[in-house]
Amino acid sequence: MIEVKEPKRIPFVGMLQGMFTVFKHLFKKPITVQYPEEKAYTPPRFKFRIFLSMDDCVGCTLCEQVCPNLSIRMIVVERNNPHNKRNLYPQVNFGTCTVCRNCEEICPTEAIYLTHELETARTRNNFFYSPQELEKTEEEVKK
Amino acid sequence: MNILLRLQLFFQITGHYASYFLAYIFETIFFLIFVFVSLIAMIYLFRKYMARLQLRYGPNRVGKFGSLQLIADAIKLVGKESILPKLRDDFAYKTAPYIVFIGLVVGFILIPYGDFYWIGSLTITHSDVSLILFFGAIAMMPIGEILAGISSHNKYALLGAMRGVAKDVSFEVPMMLSAIALVMMDSAVNKTPLEFSSLVSTQFIPFGILQPLGLFVFMVAMIARSSYTPFDLSESDSEIVSGYSTEYSGMRFGLFYMGMFGSIFLGSLVISLLYLGGYNGPYSSYAGFIYLLIKGLIMVLISFLIWLSMPRIRIDRFVNFGWKILLPIAIINLIWAGFLTLGVIS
Ligand code: SF4
Ligand code: SF4
Repeated sequence: MIEVKEPKRIPFVGMLQGMFTVFKHLFKKPITVQYPEEKAYTPPRFKFRIFLSMDDCVGCTLCEQVCPNLSIRMIVVERNNPHNKRNLYPQVNFGTCTVCRNCEEICPTEAIYLTHELETARTRNNFFYSPQELEKTEEEVKK
Repeated sequence: MNILLRLQLFFQITGHYASYFLAYIFETIFFLIFVFVSLIAMIYLFRKYMARLQLRYGPNRVGKFGSLQLIADAIKLVGKESILPKLRDDFAYKTAPYIVFIGLVVGFILIPYGDFYWIGSLTITHSDVSLILFFGAIAMMPIGEILAGISSHNKYALLGAMRGVAKDVSFEVPMMLSAIALVMMDSAVNKTPLEFSSLVSTQFIPFGILQPLGLFVFMVAMIARSSYTPFDLSESDSEIVSGYSTEYSGMRFGLFYMGMFGSIFLGSLVISLLYLGGYNGPYSSYAGFIYLLIKGLIMVLISFLIWLSMPRIRIDRFVNFGWKILLPIAIINLIWAGFLTLGVIS
């Protein structure tokens, strides 16, 4: 059996050291970010909301097939687009999207892509973004 | 000239007895306002200070710098529904918070506050044995706690109350012994050594410098009495939910909460009276109250620092600490005080 010898400690010195460490914080600046007024730093590679360029989309449904969470569903939007004869466009459910970027990877025409758009929270009953809404920024969607 | 006599002079037209009666009533009202305001200020200070020590901002939304946050909280607390457990012991359940709060208020009444410019002496009750009365008053608070614990009909509340009382018993004795050392020193010069103000008046050198061990014991015992970390055995959140106040809600819980913060303030005032020279200081015949308040506030800030930087102690270690460490230290301090007293007399 190995005996571990503890170093001899003077009682209460450790406590006083701890108290002093805590006390030093009084002169430091709080690290809290006051969220709605101040924004925390978002790294440049951080991506969140999906955008769609309806003119570029050819309606190949690849994004629907590759989505692991079945967040994308193709819907018919009547629109005059010579590349997209079937008039199929993706509709995204942000309630289940995990921002995996598979759809962005697979899109042959780079019609669907993710951007820095954050703060999509608001009161509405579903999280579906129609193709037309996917074209707009968050500010415009809110209106 | 104190507040009571001034009020009595003001009401003199109503006759002798009636004027004293009115003066007492008004003094009580003033006093309750003082206690409430100081408690609210304390809780605000605590939240701000705690936040700064933890690198946060603390309350800053309601009012300027969050100064109205506490009032908003108080209104919320009053407006809350008071939920009563079904199998409670009704009378005991309902009186317990008031016993705790009244113990606190009586403690505040007995403290000599010193003078304050044109108002004169702020002391509320004069008594020849105010030290003993004070200890009696704060010994009332564990009764309220154990009543709350038993009458809630809840295992955790009962456990919390039992632990709280074990703590109070094991720390009251060293506290008394260190206070006795002061009384001993004071009795060599004064005829009324059991009074706070005579204890203060003998401190040309603060007793805390003469008896550092006594100061240490008294302070630890006071922290234990007010039951905050590291001695918050009676309401350790992880083991026994919230102690004896588990079943309480609304304003009754608020009274317990104020009892806790009040006893921190009260303990700090008493430490500054007994060991730090109380209301003594330059020009203290005018501004004694300010000195007392400043000393008390510094003690309060130190207590909060202790609160924030120490972990909770296990119950057996804790009771052992009371009986095996603090009690011998208190007795050594008593012997030391005896030597000092002999030195003073000879
Ligand atoms: S967004 Fe891209 S992948 Fe999806 S249907 Fe349109 S073209 Fe195909
Ligand atoms: S980012 Fe991933 S989860 Fe979201 S819609 Fe595209 S494929 Fe689906």
